[in-house]
Amino acid sequence: MSDPAPNVLVVDDEVQIRRFLRSGFELDGYSVAEAENGREAIRAATLKPTDLIILDLALPDLDGSQVLERIRSWSNVPIIILSVKSSEMEKVRLFELGADDYVTKPFGMAELLARSKVVLRRKARATTGDSVVRIDRLKIDLAARNVFLDDERLTLTPKEYRLLQVLAQYPGNVVTHQELLKEIWGLPHINDTHYLRIVVRKLRQKIEADPNQPRILLTELGVGYRLAPPNEPAEPSTH
Amino acid sequence: MPPNRVEIVAPMPRTSSWSESMLKRLHDSVSPAGTGGIVGALVLVTTVTATLEVLKSFVDLPPIIITYLIPVLIAAIRWGFVPALVATVTGAACAAFFFYRPIHTFYVEDPARRLGILIFAVVAVVAAHLAVRMRREAENVRRREKEIGDLYAFSRRLAAGHSTADIFDAIQQHLAAVVGRKVALFEPRGPAGRPEPIGESDVPQDVRDAVAAVIAGKAEAAGMTVADDHGDLWLVHPVSSRTPDLGVVAIDLGSQTPESEKEIRARIEAMLADATSTIEQIGLAHAITEVRMRAESERFRDALIGSVSHELRTPLASILGAATVLCDAQAVAEEPRLAALANVVRDESERLNNEIQNLLDATRITGEALQPKLEWAEISDVVNTAVERRRGRFATHVIEVDLPSEVPLIQVDSVLIEKALGQILANAVKYSPAGSTIRIRGWREGRVLALAVSDEGAGLSAEDSARLGERFFRGRRHIQSTPGSGLGFWIANAFVAANGGAIEATSRGENKGTTMTIRLPIPANVEQLESIAGE
Repeated sequence: MSDPAPNVLVVDDEVQIRRFLRSGFELDGYSVAEAENGREAIRAATLKPTDLIILDLALPDLDGSQVLERIRSWSNVPIIILSVKSSEMEKVRLFELGADDYVTKPFGMAELLARSKVVLRRKARATTGDSVVRIDRLKIDLAARNVFLDDERLTLTPKEYRLLQVLAQYPGNVVTHQELLKEIWGLPHINDTHYLRIVVRKLRQKIEADPNQPRILLTELGVGYRLAPPNEPAEPSTH
Repeated sequence: MPPNRVEIVAPMPRTSSWSESMLKRLHDSVSPAGTGGIVGALVLVTTVTATLEVLKSFVDLPPIIITYLIPVLIAAIRWGFVPALVATVTGAACAAFFFYRPIHTFYVEDPARRLGILIFAVVAVVAAHLAVRMRREAENVRRREKEIGDLYAFSRRLAAGHSTADIFDAIQQHLAAVVGRKVALFEPRGPAGRPEPIGESDVPQDVRDAVAAVIAGKAEAAGMTVADDHGDLWLVHPVSSRTPDLGVVAIDLGSQTPESEKEIRARIEAMLADATSTIEQIGLAHAITEVRMRAESERFRDALIGSVSHELRTPLASILGAATVLCDAQAVAEEPRLAALANVVRDESERLNNEIQNLLDATRITGEALQPKLEWAEISDVVNTAVERRRGRFATHVIEVDLPSEVPLIQVDSVLIEKALGQILANAVKYSPAGSTIRIRGWREGRVLALAVSDEGAGLSAEDSARLGERFFRGRRHIQSTPGSGLGFWIANAFVAANGGAIEATSRGENKGTTMTIRLPIPANVEQLESIAGE
């Protein structure tokens, strides 16, 4: 972690869950605040400096997605959703409401920490305004609209580039099928998933070592696509 | 014919009923058919008179009057008692008028002939009465025969019926054939949990309400009648007077007078009683109740599993989460004995979680909530996700994936297929030795995409292959040695089938490995769609 102690707000009505999340995050160098219901969560997010929110969907007072919507109306703090439900439709809805990630209960602490790291890094990159995204052997220069593989410039079709561009705005974050279709082909094609599949297939042939086992452009089954987490910056962070 | 014989032959019934039946018969003859019968009788008498008139010139015919019994009997058999009576009177009159001296008057000179006419009249009436009775009996026998035939066919259909629907269908058709009007049969608990008409769906709301009342036990067992908007009368009656569980019939009686309603109601009740006794004889009532109870207990069980699974998952989330924190904590990692214990807690909670997930998936299948959400999918995405999600559990084995670079897209619920493939992979890992290889191969077979998972494990015996599809089935050789619920393959099978595919299990024998092949249809228009999308 570049930031000495990122503040994480854990929102869950189960005291046992909060307890292990607190230990897990504190052992990994976070400083932890807790909320046991939706109203308390909204209040805490407003009053205290918060870098990351872990939000359980089943809260006693408000629905988790309502809390997500309220916080999103004034803040773009990374939010990871926890839920016992693993329905893909639910995931799509929450991603479109602005969730950064979704973790199904039960889960291991290592997985949650890894995902937290990714969303925090995304935020850090957004604040530095860095327009170059490096993932594995791939380099996407969003300002110059160039894509390189091992420093060799790739020739991409406009749709292929647009796909990479949309995903690279939030590297590591899932972008749903519907959002991608809307961004690339426009609203009338929002259900033509096969368009997306074909372009993804072609793009993978250009950027992946083995297109059948992609390492850069990853599938989130039934939900959407995401880019693998960007490489750690080689030089020490300056902020 | 001597007069004393008349006394013996005449089967005079009790006088009162005789006169009653006479009146009834007279009443019957007022109908148009009765008038036709009278005309017919007159025609017959005229024909006989004319024939006799012609014959008279060739031969001598002393017992003329006997000939007139022919029209009387014909009229009695064909048209009933009153036309026969008309034939008797006109026959006697014709004999007197045309053949007995003085001719062309109704007066008969010879006293013996006068007596003869009298005897003729008595014999004719008695014979007519007998003939009419015979005809009625014959008709009754024919009707009974038909009814018995219908009932026999009905009970055969009842006996052959395996489902409630078969039985209801038989009852309904039989009733409709007997009553000749609209008959709706209501299942006490339809798919939506409320009474549903079977077959005939055109039932007015008032009648439906009455049916609901009968099923709820609010009406008396004898049923009730309701009038609909068109003034038609409906009889709503439980199939069995003992319980509405066997269903309720609603019969459109049309417009009826109170008397005819009573009569038709009695007939329907008799028929339903027959049907119920048949049903009870073949143990159907019992069977239907049992099917209902089984469906209810299955629903209850699934609801229980569903809620228990959710209730179990919440504490499990805390246990698993806490265990993973412990496993990674510096202090625990430094003490190997503690680290081993923490790993046990973590691994076993993960296993428990998988079992709960299986129970949940199984409830989804029996709960009929399994509606695949079809979308275009790349098979490599499905395979990668299935392997990736279980990487930790599959760490003991080498997993090789071999997919061709150009496979068409398929239209499936990729989440369900991923789960099915995951179950098959988990089984392959479970039943093959650590360190062995599991191969996933994909290929195209015409309009089918095949995906095979091969292991180097225990293989299948002939008995295993045959019973593989059963819920909770586990190979006998593994029950002792390998933990599991036996739900896995059953779930995989149901998920693949929901996507229009099938799973085939092959093995070259025990300890020679197993190959599970998932086959999924390739949509007909996929090449066209791919070429459009590629532009």
